[in-house]
Amino acid sequence: MLKKKLLGVLAGAACAFGAGSALADDIVVGSVAGVTGPIAELVAPIVAGRNLAVEHVNAQGGLLGGDTMVLVLADSQCDPKAGVDAGQKVVNVEQVVAVVGASCSGATNGMVQSVTIPSGVVAISDSATAPSITELEDNDLVFRVAPSDAYQGLALAQLARDAGFEKLAMTYANDDYNAGIAAVFEKSFQELGGTITGNQAHEPNKASYRSEVSTLSNGDPEGLAIFAYYGGSGITIIRNSLENGLFDKFLGADGMYDISVIEQIGADNLKDNIMVTQSASDDQDASYQAFADFYQESTGIDPSAPYAAHGYDAAFLVALAIEQAGAAERDKIAAALREVSNGEGTVIRPGEWEKAKAAIAAGEAINYEGASGVVDFDENGDVTGVFSVNTVGDDNNWTSKLLK
Amino acid sequence: MDQFYGIFLYIVALLTMGGIYAILTLGLNIQWGFTGLFNAGIAGFLAVGAYTSALLTTAASERHIGGLEAPYIVGLGAAMVTSGIIAYVIGKICIRLRSDYLAIATIGIAEILRLVVKNETWATNGPRGVSMVPKPFETLPEPYNQICFLLLILATVGVIYLLIERARRSPWGRVMTAIRENEDAARAAGKDVERLRIEAFVIGSMLMGLAGGFMAHYLKFIGPNATDPLTSTFLVWVMLTVGGSANNKGAILGAMLIWTVWSATEIFTSRLPEELAIRTAYIRIFLIGLLLQIILQKFSKGILPEQRPGGQSTAAGQSTLAGRSTMAGSKKDST
Repeated sequence: MLKKKLLGVLAGAACAFGAGSALADDIVVGSVAGVTGPIAELVAPIVAGRNLAVEHVNAQGGLLGGDTMVLVLADSQCDPKAGVDAGQKVVNVEQVVAVVGASCSGATNGMVQSVTIPSGVVAISDSATAPSITELEDNDLVFRVAPSDAYQGLALAQLARDAGFEKLAMTYANDDYNAGIAAVFEKSFQELGGTITGNQAHEPNKASYRSEVSTLSNGDPEGLAIFAYYGGSGITIIRNSLENGLFDKFLGADGMYDISVIEQIGADNLKDNIMVTQSASDDQDASYQAFADFYQESTGIDPSAPYAAHGYDAAFLVALAIEQAGAAERDKIAAALREVSNGEGTVIRPGEWEKAKAAIAAGEAINYEGASGVVDFDENGDVTGVFSVNTVGDDNNWTSKLLK
Repeated sequence: MDQFYGIFLYIVALLTMGGIYAILTLGLNIQWGFTGLFNAGIAGFLAVGAYTSALLTTAASERHIGGLEAPYIVGLGAAMVTSGIIAYVIGKICIRLRSDYLAIATIGIAEILRLVVKNETWATNGPRGVSMVPKPFETLPEPYNQICFLLLILATVGVIYLLIERARRSPWGRVMTAIRENEDAARAAGKDVERLRIEAFVIGSMLMGLAGGFMAHYLKFIGPNATDPLTSTFLVWVMLTVGGSANNKGAILGAMLIWTVWSATEIFTSRLPEELAIRTAYIRIFLIGLLLQIILQKFSKGILPEQRPGGQSTAAGQSTLAGRSTMAGSKKDST
């Protein structure tokens, strides 16, 4: 009896949602992101990137015959439960053509396996980096513009060896993102002939890491590799190391890339002493510059915010794929996505929607070169990604150099 | 694709997750509703169950231990057994603690369990979690796989409901209520209060472990973030409190209702302009708190209050008493 009533209420509510749904000339794309939850402050710039891409598409003629592209935001809370739930909402209730997201690897893992793959919807993540996503049996429906950790960990290990480090200590914040890069780094550094003298996980947001760094300084390491978010624990670890004279050389991955690291530790302490790899963004690259100008102007956020460029690329690629497919149909997106980003054809850069639309209409092949890199998908739907190494330059700011 | 078909699928998903929460809520109801045990560590038992079942049923992988490709029934059974054993050990140590002290102890234990699965990377793949967990009926075509999984969950909820309804009406259930209402009196009546409290704690935790197992299979992935205390402990308490503590129907109703509110409100908020959409994600959580306030103000014992075996709810019982006295009063007047 009760259950029946409940079903009745649900069905009634469902009809109400149905009635309010998108208009005929809207093409709806899901935008699943960890808007609340542990990485909320990192997600806002990424979502701004996605929205900016859609603004560009709609301002320059829209999709297909002038249809409006609409992003529907759903909150994955960085939690697989919420990720699956958000996926169900965008795929089934909103009837989206494709999904951009979800943010965290765990939420993405749940969402694609439980919702988008069985429903035959393409999901393209802009910040999920777990290697396990590569191995999914995804019927070619899971893509990501964020490179797998496997690549960044290897890049940093190579860099450390090239810089002459033989013995390193390392520590990582125990979250899915940093633990993943750390694991790859440890393995790669050892394979390249280096020695890890100590490897310790730490919980972020502690007031002090003195005991951790002093334990890590045993065994005579030449430097400390830190895999953490700068605000969560990274700055504190560097500060504790310097205060106690335990380490003066530091390596880090992109969670450590932020101007506040230099501001709080002091450029003099870090000059020649820190190397941070970052996924993306050759800031000399024309695509990145185009993006950075638009982004800065329209959102006021620093365009080098982690994965903001990836957010733009993911949304823009979905738009290109819909245009290329010639129809907003779920089953055509995957193939079209590969056609617009396979490295051959007229180069399209961020913001060049009109040019892309004209080229597709003329039947030309196009190749999107994104703000975050060339974004050519491999057979697993991954990108190799571009990494830069960042050091402290004479202007007391980060200086990027692209890694080849 | 047809709009109504999509909404139908969403309702299937909503009921599936609501059903999994209903199992959790029924487990908590045995502990808190019947026996008065304040378990604030639901997330820990959920994690134990989820990881046990996931590790046993997945294919072998170098990322984590297990990978036996065991059948679901083995995985879910093991989830219940492991949670039960852990609950028994904890119960042996902590069960004598009075309600709020037990709450603090269980919060601590749940965090320990969560940190173990997060940090023992060799066993659980740490914060990266266990991926490619098989899901029952997933080889069936859409939408039958989802419908069959929902039916499995609803059948499980139904069986658990019947069993604990039966237990509630039995002498065992009455002793539990006696312990909740007045422990000393129950002890004076010759009942082994400690043993009975442990029984309730273990049975409730086994159900939480089972729910965890189902959750891992449903999500096809389990990681430490899925056992976040906000959505795994706090939300379950909200469900039970709103639905009606010590009422099994109330527990199921509360789970379905609160999960619907939790999930479906976003369909409205996502239609707001994009500047507001990010903020409404937070407002949504605020609204759920507000809803809880309103419901508790309106129904102080939950939507479906407790019904004592014998048929009358406490509220109804009072009104009959009141009725009787007025009748007596009017009789007096007439004479």
